Amino acid sequence: MASPIRILTAVPICDGHDSAINTINLEFIRHGIEVIYLGYHRSVTDIVRAAIQEDVRAIGISSYNGGHIEFFAEVVNLLRKKGADDIKVFGGGGGTITHDDAAIMKRKGVEEVFFAGTSLEEMVKFVHEHYGKPRAKRTRPKSADQELAHKLTEIEDSYAAGRKRPTPNAQRRTSKSKKRHQTSNFKHQTSRVIGFTGPGGAGKTTLIDELVLRFLNRNPKGKIAILSHDPSVVGEGALLGDRATMINSQDDRVFMRSMATRGQAGGLSPATHDCLALLAQLNFDNVIIETVGTGQEAMPFQKNGIVDLTVLVMNPDYGSRLQLQKIVMLDLADIVVVNKSDLQRARTAHTEIEQRLEQNRPVRRSFGEGGRKQQLIDTVAKRHRDPGVDRLFELISSGRDGALRRPAAAARRPYQQKRRKK
Amino acid sequence: MSKLGQVVEAVENYDKFVLDQVKRARTDEKFGRELLGRWNDIKAKIPVTRTPTGLPLPRLALPEIDEPGEIARYFFGEGLPGEFPYLSAAYREMYLEPVREIESFEKNAGTIDKKIPQAEEPTRLFSGLMLAEDTNERFHYLTRHQRTHRLSTAFDGPTLYGIDSDADGVFGKIGEGGVAIDTVEDMMQLYDGFDLGSPNFSASMTISGPAPIIMAMYIAAAKRRFGPKVVPKLRGTIQADIFKEVQAQNETIFPIEPSLRFLTDMVEFTTHEMPRWYPISISGYHIGEAGSTPVQQAAYTLSNGFAYVEMFAGLGIPVDQFGPRLSFFLDCGLDAEYIALARVSRRIWAIGMRDVFGAGPKAQLYKLHTQTSGRSLIAAEFKNNLTRTAAELVLAYVNATNSCHSNSADEPFTTPSEEWIRLAAHGQAILLEESGIFKHTMNMLSGSPGMKAVERAVEAAILDEFREIERLGGVLAAVEERYQRSQIQNASHRYEQQIYDGTRPIIGLNRYRDGADEIPDVKLARTPRSKQQLQVDRLAKFKKKNAEKAKRALDKLAGAVERGENCFPTLLEAAEVCSLGQITGRLQEVVGRFRPMV
Ligand code: B12
Ligand SMILES: Nc1nc2c(ncn2[C@@H]2O[C@H](COP(=O)(O)OP(=O)(O)O)[C@@H](O)[C@H]2O)c(=O)[nH]1
Ligand SMILES: [Mg+2]
Repeated sequence: MASPIRILTAVPICDGHDSAINTINLEFIRHGIEVIYLGYHRSVTDIVRAAIQEDVRAIGISSYNGGHIEFFAEVVNLLRKKGADDIKVFGGGGGTITHDDAAIMKRKGVEEVFFAGTSLEEMVKFVHEHYGKPRAKRTRPKSADQELAHKLTEIEDSYAAGRKRPTPNAQRRTSKSKKRHQTSNFKHQTSRVIGFTGPGGAGKTTLIDELVLRFLNRNPKGKIAILSHDPSVVGEGALLGDRATMINSQDDRVFMRSMATRGQAGGLSPATHDCLALLAQLNFDNVIIETVGTGQEAMPFQKNGIVDLTVLVMNPDYGSRLQLQKIVMLDLADIVVVNKSDLQRARTAHTEIEQRLEQNRPVRRSFGEGGRKQQLIDTVAKRHRDPGVDRLFELISSGRDGALRRPAAAARRPYQQKRRKK
Repeated sequence: MSKLGQVVEAVENYDKFVLDQVKRARTDEKFGRELLGRWNDIKAKIPVTRTPTGLPLPRLALPEIDEPGEIARYFFGEGLPGEFPYLSAAYREMYLEPVREIESFEKNAGTIDKKIPQAEEPTRLFSGLMLAEDTNERFHYLTRHQRTHRLSTAFDGPTLYGIDSDADGVFGKIGEGGVAIDTVEDMMQLYDGFDLGSPNFSASMTISGPAPIIMAMYIAAAKRRFGPKVVPKLRGTIQADIFKEVQAQNETIFPIEPSLRFLTDMVEFTTHEMPRWYPISISGYHIGEAGSTPVQQAAYTLSNGFAYVEMFAGLGIPVDQFGPRLSFFLDCGLDAEYIALARVSRRIWAIGMRDVFGAGPKAQLYKLHTQTSGRSLIAAEFKNNLTRTAAELVLAYVNATNSCHSNSADEPFTTPSEEWIRLAAHGQAILLEESGIFKHTMNMLSGSPGMKAVERAVEAAILDEFREIERLGGVLAAVEERYQRSQIQNASHRYEQQIYDGTRPIIGLNRYRDGADEIPDVKLARTPRSKQQLQVDRLAKFKKKNAEKAKRALDKLAGAVERGENCFPTLLEAAEVCSLGQITGRLQEVVGRFRPMV
């Protein structure tokens, strides 16, 4: 099966009319399209950057507050400038975009404008017809972001086409792609991979965005990659909405990719492992991965996997102490965060989790973890300059060479090498 | 239990109380006689008016009842206009022609009374376009026939988001959909020629995210024009409704908590220094337009209102001091619920304010501005929009709204042009002045069995929404959990689907499509590039002139915010020398930016 169509949607800067786009997003998703939704009040730069990183087929813009001729044209022009004019632009704005406007916009390179009164069905049909066919041969990428984005698409597509999780044998088949890597824009380096997991709504996305803000301020040249996940079923659409809330992560020094799980249980997508391996060998200081909201038994990051540091984000409302016993990740996480510690139950949660972690120490020793103490931190991710998040940031930063570095991670080889050896 | 839970109980108790009174009136003879006596007294005192054809009519219509139980149900359940629980109206008389009692009529028989204009015309049209001077011109055009000048200001996108006209990537948005305001100088220009301190002037400003900053600029502009003594005389409203921004309108610029803190700082200031100002307009309009059901609109608006009251009361401001300075803003569409939505809202507000917050009569009033629904107006055969708006106006006035905006028929396309605005204003005049529907008799259309049925159903549904919000931990918790947002979005999606599957008839779109494919010919209000450049240049000059002072003012402001004191006085100083974007930027450094909700 082919990968679902991926589309980016957004509302322009200084515009909060999101009713139309919300409905259109839903309709697209119901018809098998993966929608990366960037939200409202978004600049041309943010939109184009996101579209390139996400390597979408097209951008759908919903504009109501005027200035649409200029705005759409600026998006088209910036895409061209970035060598990404394979990404098409379409959109609508009810009655505010007149027929005359639409004619001008099309001349400037906009593919289609939907007028007031168009049925939702027609729009879905348009997307399937125009963006549903396999891509023509891809042009040479003009930037590292674009090259990486294309590669990630290749990986996702190959899994959609039936590839299985890389077993030692299966990996040989892909070794051809290695050559291209070597002549690419990439600088090879190993990044540190930090995995965030935990129940849905615990605040993972918010927390990551707050950490990104601190990282960008601290390291004026540093770069980060983020792989974020949202659930989806095989062959169906998905709403990938993390970018809309991750305001600090829409930055030229952040490469972000949103992935749908495409039917895989456990919080990650079939292609995640390979995508992560690719990201990990590039010149990012940190690669952050966020799983979808996970249940008690979930253990998305395997031991000796590619993740160097696992952070489990908990919500104080996990229920009873008994529920706590069942959460497997509590045994494996390097750092446990009790987010939303502004909520009433946070203190109790902290104490209960602390006791639970104490029980782990002997267990972890037998896992070969040396009985190293797991860290427990309380945060309020939604608060600006929260001291708990500051502490978490320091802990993660110091972890680079410090106590938190796992022995397994130090020995981990970059993606390509590992493949060649097997 | 949160205050909202208590409101639910209070309304339930009040409904029980009404039933008890009905029973008592029927069983307790003395009580029954008393009620009947009062009823007959009131009826006897109702002045009589005459229609132009000479037909005598009472100025107040009451139900045809003479049984004590039913009289009790009316007195307690509904109330006379202007009496608790204010179901029929907040005031005793609204929209009526000046008194022409029967005697005086007889004396002047055959002559036309010299019309004494009403204290305030309810027509208030929302407008804003291009630069301050252009909007100013429009304001003068709109009020040319009005004795009282009630201006309602629409701001452009950059202003609504608290950024400057020279910010990255916003050039094309300057002056679109509203007026561009960057500085106190623009603000002076905006209301030039109007006497801001006059009792016949009031300014309404539709802005929420940066409301405290814009408010400070308004005060600064008024002081520059009329001196410091004008401040306590200023009349008007600023929207400043943060909850509905997060729920529906998407113009929050600071995280919720600091947004609320800046709001309360402002409310504290205006309550003390500007007794005639309405510092917050609790708005359902945007919730409705974002696609909510009418019940959701009413329920979220009321619950947001109660949450603000709880917040301000928590600061120690007496409810009777700020309560009378709260006002409401609702949408009025074509759905059946609208026949009683505002009536029921008024009643629930009064009961909640009296019985939960201990408010006196002035703070119990749900003072309402209504706008007809923009979303109900469509592009296909757009002249039908005149009819839609007319029907909505009837519903709005049946609900005894205190003021009203009627949308122009070209609403789907552009900031309205003068032609369509004029027709929209005439629509209201035709209804209120030309037709006999509202000018002779209070309650002319109130109290039909259908209206009563809608009232009961709507009240029950609103209370259900309150219970759900209460279950989620109150308004703030529900907002943070996206509860209202997701409910509104679902309703909106259903609405659009109903249009396209034909179950919601829209004339000219999914029925009687005879003219649907005609390309409409409307005059567009677009801001020319030269004007946009002019605004950018003006701003540059202002910034250059004030660079030094601005820096100091911003530092002082940031300090006040950091220390947690009421920052409004320092905001007032900053507004003299800083641009909107400079202030927003500095505040965001201290308190962070709003993280949008999907
Ligand atoms: C709903 C609405 C609001 C709501 C928005 C709620 C929300 N969260 O979305 C509220 C009340 C908050 C609002 C506020 C404002 N609004 Co308004 N609003 C409207 C209104 C009434 C309807 C728009 C709508 O959502 N329609 C429903 C959608 C589903 O249908 P549609 O528009 O016909 O779109 C169809 C197609 O075009 C297509 N489509 C649309 N987008 C896309 C995108 C893609 C990718 C595709 C494939 C298709 C597509 O799909 C739709 C279905 O067929 C219009 C007027 C009107 N009647 O159209 C004004 C209107 C857009 N608003 C306007 C203005 C000025 C404002 C304000 C700036 C007013 C102010 N100064 O305060 C604010 C700004 C708000 C903000 N945050 O930016 C103006 C814009 C004027 C202009 N451009 O010249 C309009 C035209 C009204 C007017 N005449 O003044 N508004
Ligand atoms: N009360 C509270 N809410 C928070 C906090 N951090 C995040 N949230 C809210 O929790 C919700 C879910 O956050 P999100 O980051 O999307 O969680 P995720 O599903 O784990 O990625 C959002 O509405 C956040 O605003 C916090 O520290 N306290
Ligand atoms: Mg998340």
